[in-house]
Amino acid sequence: MRKVLLVALRDYNAAVRTKGFIIGLVLMPILFGGSLIGLKLIESQRDIRDKRIAIVDHSGVIAQAVVEAAERRNANELRDAKTGKQVQPAYRIEVVPPDEQDPDRQRLELSNRVRDKSLTAFVEIAKDVVTAAGPGKTPGISYHSENSVMDDARKWLEGPINERIRKLRLAAAGLSEELVGRVTRWTPAEPLSLVAMDESTGKIKGSTRRSEWDAIGIPFVIMMLMFILVVSASTPLVNTILEEKMNRVAEVMLGSVSPFQLMLGKLLGGVGVSLTTTAVYAAGGVGAAYYMKASSTIPFGALPWLFVYGIAAALMFGALFVALGSACSDLRESQSVLMPVWLLAMAPMFIWLPLVKEPGGKLALYASLFPPFTPMLMLLRQATPGGVPAWQPWVGLAEVIAFTVLCVWAAGRIFRVGILMQGKPPRLGEILKWAVRG
Amino acid sequence: MSSLRAVELHEITKAFDGRRAVEELTLTVPVGCVYGFIGPNGSGKTTTLRMIMRILHPDSGSVRVFGEERHEAYTERIGYLPEERGLYKTMRVRDLLRFYGRLKNGRDVNREVDRWLERLDLAAWANKRIEQLSKGMSQKVQFISAVVHRPDLVILDEPFTGLDPVNQDVLQAVVLELRANGATVIFSTHDMSTAETMCDFICMIHKGRKVLDGTLTAIQDQYGSDTVLLRVGAGAAALHDLPGVEHTTDRGQLQELRLAKGADPQRLLGEVMARGRVLQFELARPSLHDIFVRIAGPAEGESHA
Repeated sequence: MRKVLLVALRDYNAAVRTKGFIIGLVLMPILFGGSLIGLKLIESQRDIRDKRIAIVDHSGVIAQAVVEAAERRNANELRDAKTGKQVQPAYRIEVVPPDEQDPDRQRLELSNRVRDKSLTAFVEIAKDVVTAAGPGKTPGISYHSENSVMDDARKWLEGPINERIRKLRLAAAGLSEELVGRVTRWTPAEPLSLVAMDESTGKIKGSTRRSEWDAIGIPFVIMMLMFILVVSASTPLVNTILEEKMNRVAEVMLGSVSPFQLMLGKLLGGVGVSLTTTAVYAAGGVGAAYYMKASSTIPFGALPWLFVYGIAAALMFGALFVALGSACSDLRESQSVLMPVWLLAMAPMFIWLPLVKEPGGKLALYASLFPPFTPMLMLLRQATPGGVPAWQPWVGLAEVIAFTVLCVWAAGRIFRVGILMQGKPPRLGEILKWAVRG
Repeated sequence: MSSLRAVELHEITKAFDGRRAVEELTLTVPVGCVYGFIGPNGSGKTTTLRMIMRILHPDSGSVRVFGEERHEAYTERIGYLPEERGLYKTMRVRDLLRFYGRLKNGRDVNREVDRWLERLDLAAWANKRIEQLSKGMSQKVQFISAVVHRPDLVILDEPFTGLDPVNQDVLQAVVLELRANGATVIFSTHDMSTAETMCDFICMIHKGRKVLDGTLTAIQDQYGSDTVLLRVGAGAAALHDLPGVEHTTDRGQLQELRLAKGADPQRLLGEVMARGRVLQFELARPSLHDIFVRIAGPAEGESHA
């Protein structure tokens, strides 16, 4: 065991003390879901310089309302309610009288002004925008800018223009605005948790309101955490095995330790690396939740399972990575040989959404009791509101442990043959034969 | 010592994909000697050494090291330098040697590491990464990794190839020192003169089988004094079709003749003198090099085929 730990410790240090690990640690959250944080950051850094928008109103009844709405917006909505800092750009509307003789010429002139940055965009409102209604009509509002699809100003402009059109149409039909608002009011169904009795007081506790974040967000984050755990174990493992094989370090090592000791040491080193990563992320996530005063959304009941399943998952997939990695002689070869393992690791990501919608269903039960999926899917179901029957995680865990022991045992046998094998790309069937025959 | 035999191989056979790399090899390495493995490329030397290390397992036959068959019983008493050098490229020299040393026996190896680095002139490189070393230097580091834990048995696969003459001398001296301190050293080599000068026992493997085994003198005795070293004024051209000569090797200034069995060297001398001026005529025992070539040379290979 001393030798196993020595090997594990060396591998752990070699993996954790590299720039690659640090970069990976930072990069991974950006890749997985961290893009949201990125977007928030970018949003807070948005351009708050004034946006000049020209409006060419062929109908003659819209432009003034837009100018007024923009002034209201500039006065009331530009600043963050808490900090008072300006977070939105002001919209300056410039009303341009339409050139009915040569509208194309006017469009070109305005486009050129956008190109030389004296305008952000220009919007053209059709003559019949109020009267034309119904499907199949050409749009009555044309918004021109350099990136018109993604432009926030376009989305905003739709509001006051449509508001004005609606008012004019209601007036033309002789209907009161208040009446129409009242009769078309939409009634949503509120998502709530089940009610329960408080056992000490005997009172019935009211239900709490559920958000989509509770139902999908949290389970997804937990599943991703598990996936990161598997991924971050695999890369250093496969790298060190290939390095040792290519540099013939393996042979030196085998002069001192048995193949099983070497394999186990590498496996534990890799698992250590991935637990480090996961602990950093889990702590970061919990910390962030407290900071954002959203700690009540953390499913603390599922967290111990995260670590239990996490260790099992890292060992289970780690063993598969070690075994197959040892049979390869270079990185390219390993990518194709490891593909089936990757698919196995990623499969839960393809079926998680139906499972979250119906966590008590048959598919959910069977899929989450299939050992390679259990760590991710059982945890996913445990984290969904409602959870799972108490026996299921334990049965799942027993299966996972049995399967992990099998994987480690088979990996030891494959590793013994694979690590000294040179130059011959192995086939999966052959590798399985090594495991069976030893 | 638990046994006077460091290594005993008994009829070991190992095949790869049906091709036999080692066949029914039996040999004994006494404790405290320098034992040389010679043989052409692909003859099974490395496979045999790997089986002693228990990196490979023989298909049949038994391997005993210090009387033990269980690998765990003797791993810590062996040091191993594989033919293809294996070092972690990004580790620092001293850390790497400490790691290898600890892996063997957990004793504090720091002093020993420093002593060896000093001995092999690597002290200035102790904190450099392996990838910064030259090939010869990393080979010395690899050598240290094999001996840093004071093993009783040192197995060196081609330890001197790729070294310059100065470093070759240093390592050869170190190997002899190890023996003087009681260790048993087994090494394989292509260099016959190294084997001749350093080894107490020599074993030659050819096509997976043992063809020679014993001390240099004993091996040479098998062949007798059947070699004539000859230098003549007229050069090699004058030596065609000499009676009683089995084989002639032209070494430029010197001709090496191998006498047929029962041929009379005196008659040969007379014949050569009749053909021209003789500068040197020496009756000798065959060199290890010559014996090697006789066994593994192309002509021999053909006649066996």
